[in-house]
Amino acid sequence: MAEVILKDLKKVYDNKVTAVHDVNLHIKDKEFIVLVGPSGCGKSTTLRMVAGLEEISDGELYIDGRLVNEVAPKDRDIAMVFQNYALYPHMTVYDNMAFALKLRKVSKADIDKKVREVAEILDITQYLSRKPKALSGGQRQRVAIGRAMVRDPKVFLMDEPLSNLDAKLRNQMRAEIIKLRSRINTTFMYVTHDQTEAMTLGDRIVIMKDGFVNQIGTPQEVFNKPVNLFVAGFIGMPVMNFFDRCKLLLEGGKYYAEIRGVKFELDEFQQKALKKNGVEPCDIVAGIRPQHVTVGEGKLSATIEVSEMMGSEYNIHARCGEDEVVMLIPTVDLTTDVSMGKTVSFTTKPGLIQLFDKATGNNLIWFDADSMANNAPVCKSYE
Amino acid sequence: MDTVTGTLSAPVLSKPVKPVNRKWKHLRENAPFLLMILPAVVVVFLFCYLPIYGVLIAFQDFMPGDPILSKDTIWVGFENFSRFFNDPQFWPLMKNTFLICIFGFVIGFPLPIIISLTLNALKSKKVGKTLQTIFTAPHFISLVVLVGMLSLFFGSGGLLASIARHFGGEYESLFLKDSAFRPLYILSSNWQDFGWSAVIYIAALSNVDPQQHEAAILDGATRFQRVIHVDLPAIMPMISVMLIMSIGGLMGVGYEKALLMQTDANLSVSELVSTYVYKRGLTGVPDQAYASAIGLFNSVINVVLLIIANTTSKKFSENSLW
Repeated sequence: MAEVILKDLKKVYDNKVTAVHDVNLHIKDKEFIVLVGPSGCGKSTTLRMVAGLEEISDGELYIDGRLVNEVAPKDRDIAMVFQNYALYPHMTVYDNMAFALKLRKVSKADIDKKVREVAEILDITQYLSRKPKALSGGQRQRVAIGRAMVRDPKVFLMDEPLSNLDAKLRNQMRAEIIKLRSRINTTFMYVTHDQTEAMTLGDRIVIMKDGFVNQIGTPQEVFNKPVNLFVAGFIGMPVMNFFDRCKLLLEGGKYYAEIRGVKFELDEFQQKALKKNGVEPCDIVAGIRPQHVTVGEGKLSATIEVSEMMGSEYNIHARCGEDEVVMLIPTVDLTTDVSMGKTVSFTTKPGLIQLFDKATGNNLIWFDADSMANNAPVCKSYE
Repeated sequence: MDTVTGTLSAPVLSKPVKPVNRKWKHLRENAPFLLMILPAVVVVFLFCYLPIYGVLIAFQDFMPGDPILSKDTIWVGFENFSRFFNDPQFWPLMKNTFLICIFGFVIGFPLPIIISLTLNALKSKKVGKTLQTIFTAPHFISLVVLVGMLSLFFGSGGLLASIARHFGGEYESLFLKDSAFRPLYILSSNWQDFGWSAVIYIAALSNVDPQQHEAAILDGATRFQRVIHVDLPAIMPMISVMLIMSIGGLMGVGYEKALLMQTDANLSVSELVSTYVYKRGLTGVPDQAYASAIGLFNSVINVVLLIIANTTSKKFSENSLW
């Protein structure tokens, strides 16, 4: 159990490509932090620097108060679970789990006790004499977790541990990790590209893009208060609806968002925040989450292009001018005709509209330059 | 219980489907691959299986120019074989061949494995590639040139002789010492081939999952421990296959190099089964039936060794050729 501090951590490869730009992150003791972002965003590189598998080009890394930049991976008191398990194929499950302890010259009796104890927790006791090839993907991942657990590490690192599993097993293992976390109660750093994993597992989420940290926050914060277009588009399923060519208007001392010619008077909180931030009327991109779209009323209208029956609800993909709008309609009280080609009216509560500066991509209400983890570049696109 | 009533409509019968012959379907699906392998099958058949027909002369009183099978063929059963077993050369030949092969195997089999593991463990991939090229290059030297090089170094007019003379010493050519034949033969063969033989292991090592190494690093394994616990097990199936093949060809040493290095002074150790077959079958008054019998006997030993090695490997390591 330990806190991990990343101070201006930077990774520049020999070919001068900068994979990670000055990451600042303070992971509290026993916190479960998730690094999430698209491929190539630098999340795995950051984790590997913490593990000691990548050299740190610049900055400082502290684990439990100790500067570990030059400390060998084995001496950092960390354990890592890899995407493709990285089990030794010629060893049995027992030997795989015992290997690190054997290298540390732990007595046989202690090794046996520890391995069996962890195997019991992970429900893999019956597989101890098997070799990895005789196990399913989920069982292998448990062994990989067990191999990390036997060492009682201060920090648990996980690099996309569920990516190789099918959707059903991934859901199961996600629940297992949540249970495991409550049992072993240590600091976790978890890397994933799956925002659902990030939202369900993390105490806090670090959203990265192109080597920069874009936002650090709790799942609620990053969902409700995205600081820029990228975060807004990356977090949430289905993806947030973005309306281009919108305007922020200031009339009679009140702010309005104009979306496709329809004016929405912003709520009290938004008015205050915009005033506090000294926002001038400007071109904006308006964001509305599909969950926040009310269908069947309002002045906005869209033509249904695709209607997906998801069981409890319909996912409607509709065209509103140049913008595509996704709406969720519960099937339980379906009164709207959702067949293709039909036109539906829709609206939203003004307080739920996210306002992004068209020039910078930053959220006009939630972006706070001082609170940004680093100087992430202007993010004009939500892709 | 409710009773469901209604009329049942007759099922619509579609045209009976002709059962597809699975074998033909399989052949059709794999036709491109079968066509790709066809030239190799033809070559193997022409040059490896068809000549087996010629071993029939080992059981005949055969004279050069005779047809292999005709109404005049004189069958002599195992007479040629018993001639060889009673030949005074039998034991010296077997001993010379066996010793050359076994020492060559003991040194030559592990050497490429050690070299490949070492090259793979090198931090600098550039240095590794350079060394690999240097180690592989001797393979492309022809046997004649190689023996010429040995002569230039170790012959009576060679480098060592010049150095010895320069310092006022005496030097006897290693080609004239029977005790020097085997070390010279074996070490030069291994020098020539260890880099080439390592290529297959280096290829196998390139498939090792880097995450296994990283896991081992985090587990606290040293570089050497990673070689032992990650790299070596990863190439073990390849080692098993190569071991079986090496044992299967243990007595199959060629005659070319031995003949090139052979002198009257080292004949007692340089006369091998293969050189003897060459001499009896193709030089002087050719006795091809006798030479075929010796060659066939040697091949039978190799087949027996191959079967033993394969069975043993299958039993203990799950790896085998068949």
